[in-house]
Amino acid sequence: MGDFKTSTFMYLLGLAIVAFVIAESLFFLIRAYRRGRQLGMSKEKLRTAITSSAVFTIAPALAVLATVLTLAGALGIVLPWIRLSVIGAIQYEVPAAEAAIEATGGTGGLTQEVTSPEAFSAAAWVMTLGSILPLVLVPFLLKKIQKSVGKVVSKDTKWGDTMAAAAFIGLISAFIGRAILGSGDASVQGDGAGVMSIIALVSSTLFMLLLQWLCKKFQWRKFEPFTMPLSMFMAMGVVMLASAVLPPEIAFIEWRG
Amino acid sequence: MLAKNYMDSVHLYGRIWTVAALLVMLMIPISISAYLGVWPQAEVILKGLAPIALIFYPSAVVEVLTYSPMMGAGATYLGFVTGNITNLKMPCALNAMENAGVKSNTEEGEVISTISVATSSIVTTGIIALGVLLFSPVLPYITGEGSPFATAFQQVVPALFGALGATYFAKHWKISILPIVVILICLGFKGDIGIGVLIPIGLIVSLVGAHIMYKKKLV
Repeated sequence: MGDFKTSTFMYLLGLAIVAFVIAESLFFLIRAYRRGRQLGMSKEKLRTAITSSAVFTIAPALAVLATVLTLAGALGIVLPWIRLSVIGAIQYEVPAAEAAIEATGGTGGLTQEVTSPEAFSAAAWVMTLGSILPLVLVPFLLKKIQKSVGKVVSKDTKWGDTMAAAAFIGLISAFIGRAILGSGDASVQGDGAGVMSIIALVSSTLFMLLLQWLCKKFQWRKFEPFTMPLSMFMAMGVVMLASAVLPPEIAFIEWRG
Repeated sequence: MLAKNYMDSVHLYGRIWTVAALLVMLMIPISISAYLGVWPQAEVILKGLAPIALIFYPSAVVEVLTYSPMMGAGATYLGFVTGNITNLKMPCALNAMENAGVKSNTEEGEVISTISVATSSIVTTGIIALGVLLFSPVLPYITGEGSPFATAFQQVVPALFGALGATYFAKHWKISILPIVVILICLGFKGDIGIGVLIPIGLIVSLVGAHIMYKKKLV
């Protein structure tokens, strides 16, 4: 039956999943937009949230696409496409697929193409069952969590604001710390802290501060929402330039492996 | 009254969509097994699932507890279905709320964050689908090893959080120092601590530090 991994059936399954995700997203988007209007938020403000989020998403989404391609060598392109369209996350799908292939007796991990239907369907089961827990937890827990946070915030609004900022900063610190001192897989180039991660981190920070300063100085209100995606793109440009200009023995140093 | 109704309806529809998503998710391996006529043994699935569950189930619990108060209800229901929260949906929502000048714990914040995550989900799904359907033959040359773009895509996370950090740290530098220092000390001892462990550490240290500073009227 040809390559079962990329059969018409698999593509149809993929399209059905895409339709589901888009339907749910549109449902929430339209309701939130209408609610925003009811609350007196301007059309411009709501539309800016849409356009800036769309632009913001491009670079990270291309990185997700790169993960789909990483997995495609072993699993064909459709299953990784499906998995990364629903719940999937870059940091989860690769180890999940590797564990599944190993469990079915494969030894080469993702470097070898999966040719047996048994291994392929086992991979689909493991990748799915490993990632569905949040969908079981969210319906039970979310309302309770929101209520308890709401209580704290309504007691003391100023502390509520500081608490929200502190929570974001705690999250961001974890990622920044990893880019400075985190170690990756010793056999993989580019996944640990090193010259490239520092160049990306520092240049995007500087671009962001510069663009924000320019927006303030010249009153570029409409440009403000795009400062972050633009800083990200320019930092990635600097990374490309540095990797081309710097000697490889310097450019790809990763101090923690 | 209206606000209460809207929030209640977000939870109601959110739960319905999430349960539907759970069923759709389970249909994926079921239909693949039915189509191929191969039902893997439970033993094989459990063997593959065990190491994954050990790492990802606890981090799923932590993710739900940490992200949901920051993202708001609608964005959480949607974000946990469409995925890539840490590296995409969450920063996207933070950026949109910051730009719109709204706070995460208000209904305006809820609206902007939901709009942001919904848009981001549609764009991501669109980009992946287009990439797979139209560009899959050429994409390995763009993102594959050896391509000049590959190095840049490997650094998308530091580039993203550098820009996001610049906004928050410049505004709240006093409460930013402690979590960064603690995270760096932890990583100094053990460089391979996973992000699923680092996030709760950063979060707790940051909240405790900010609370002490707030009580002492330093912020």
